[in-house]
Amino acid sequence: MPRILTVDDSRAIRMIVAKQLQPLGFEIGEAEDGNDGLAKLQSAAYDLVVLDVTMPNLDGPGMLAKMREGGNKTPVLMLTSESKTAIVATVMRLGISDFVLKPFKGDELKAKVLKALKLPADYAAPGGAPVAAAATPVATTAKRVLVIDDMENVHKKVRSLIPAERNLDASLNAADALALCRSNPYGLILIDGDLPDTNLPSLTKQLRLLQPKAVLVAMALRTANNVTGEMRAQGFEDVLFKPFVNEAVDALLERSFQEDQELVSAQENCLKLAGFHGRDDKLEGYFQKLSAKLKEAMSKLAEGCFDSAVLDASQLPLGQPMRAAQFMADLSKVSADCGVALRLVGSAELAAVIGGFEEAKSLRLFQSVEEARAAA
Amino acid sequence: MKFAEQLEQIVKNRIEKDSLTLPTLPAVAFKAIELTRTPEFNMQEVASLIERDPVLAAQMLKLCNSVAMATREPCKSISQAVSRLGSKNLRNTLLELSARRLFESHDPKVAATVKALWEHSRAVAQLAQRVAVVSGAADADTAYLAGLLHDVGKPVVATMLLEAESQITQRNPKLWIDFSTWMDVMQRCHRPIGLDLAKKWQLPEEIQKAIEECADYDPANRLSTGNAVRFANAVAKQQGIYAGPVSADDNDALVMVGRSLLNIDDETLTRLSSDLKEKSKEAA
Repeated sequence: MPRILTVDDSRAIRMIVAKQLQPLGFEIGEAEDGNDGLAKLQSAAYDLVVLDVTMPNLDGPGMLAKMREGGNKTPVLMLTSESKTAIVATVMRLGISDFVLKPFKGDELKAKVLKALKLPADYAAPGGAPVAAAATPVATTAKRVLVIDDMENVHKKVRSLIPAERNLDASLNAADALALCRSNPYGLILIDGDLPDTNLPSLTKQLRLLQPKAVLVAMALRTANNVTGEMRAQGFEDVLFKPFVNEAVDALLERSFQEDQELVSAQENCLKLAGFHGRDDKLEGYFQKLSAKLKEAMSKLAEGCFDSAVLDASQLPLGQPMRAAQFMADLSKVSADCGVALRLVGSAELAAVIGGFEEAKSLRLFQSVEEARAAA
Repeated sequence: MKFAEQLEQIVKNRIEKDSLTLPTLPAVAFKAIELTRTPEFNMQEVASLIERDPVLAAQMLKLCNSVAMATREPCKSISQAVSRLGSKNLRNTLLELSARRLFESHDPKVAATVKALWEHSRAVAQLAQRVAVVSGAADADTAYLAGLLHDVGKPVVATMLLEAESQITQRNPKLWIDFSTWMDVMQRCHRPIGLDLAKKWQLPEEIQKAIEECADYDPANRLSTGNAVRFANAVAKQQGIYAGPVSADDNDALVMVGRSLLNIDDETLTRLSSDLKEKSKEAA
């Protein structure tokens, strides 16, 4: 377990640092000035020192100089309200890993501590949840949709056309939209191609800087000439014509959230099926794609000489039981054809679906992945 | 007194006595900017005015049709350019084109350096604008203009030193300004001159502040235009887009503090600055 020493004359700051870092499973030591810090380093080994600059008795640069003179190479992260170039340059010459300016955000401190300790950005305490990806909104998986249009009715219409679980934010103007983009990751941004008082090429450039992974789509009227060409010249990737058509919205969503489209994920001989998040009329398409993907995955398992596999089907939609049962029957056949015995993971509801279909009865069902693995 | 110190003293005396002849905004640009400051100004009147300066008009069309600003159909007339830019962008464009003229010299001794300074200014402008967008610092267009003009005093000092050299060598042909002395004096004298010029050109206060001091950040106003420019300036220097000596330690410290001050992580900084060299060389 990494040990961190926070050296600051402010008890409040030491407490904040401890509160931010203890949930990561780090052990936190405290010292109230440079002399105290040096003494703590003498009595125990630390993996990182979080050091203030201005302190009574012995300040941060003084403590750092003594540490380095004595051969102590423990990484040091400066946490200070001192921003004067000459002072920061001095401590940099003595050897610091990074710098955090007070007042600071917890995410910044955590990210820089993890980096100094050479731990991954999504590091989790043993048994704990991973740390949220730090600093940039684009670092997280983009799942949200943003609509920028000065007419609220357009916001409502878009809301009605996208799946309920897909987060949607709406903004009436460019300034509010940019503010939203500084704090949320988006996969798709729909922008009124005639947004009042807005320089669209400038707005698209700014949105690209903030959301490099988002698909930018202009919403425009069909009546204008060469709209698609004009909007592409202004930085848009595509055009969604008003009034909206369901198929066009679906195609955009599919294109914008490709990372969600991994219907079958595999880890060695353990497969997992993705859930379904679309409208009911898209369910058939989902099952067809899922069958094709699963067939590919089973063939790969056979190529890898796996004679059995675990299939986590807990996310499989059961709203149309007959279709789900048909899928399972097909699955059973593919399993037999490939020579890979499947151990299925799913709910009691799934068991009822399988039980009612002769062709799927050969599939063995377990309540958890662990249980299915143990049955090998 | 060393020659460099004598030169510096000459420049400082002229600043103190207010006897500097600072470059004026080109007459047409000045009048056009004045017009855009009046409420409900007439676009056609501004366009007609700009057309009277063929060089300015040609540069404006070139800028409007550049990759950075291109939209839809190419701009074929000044009227189209004026209408497409809108009042604020038009003012900024006129200031950019006017400032560009200061960074041009036919003197072989300074031509390469002022060109490199202009490229540095363009890099700082691009990055300051991007930093303003990502961090929410100030207005992105103001940050761009402030970045572009943060070293505007340097070419003025350069020209002044050329004049001084010409006068001195007439009296004593053995005296001439070597390159390092020239850079040294320019580095030490340019800020007050740049600030005077900014006042004379009636540039916004945020831009005047960005020109005034680049050595330290203003921690009380984290997301100010000046801080975005200081950070961009340091990053451009770190990438070698600069003319003149750089203290690597001080500059690295500015980048390190700026990242925290403006909440720019490593990944974002790489994304924002990866094409700076290329952008700085794009013709304005």
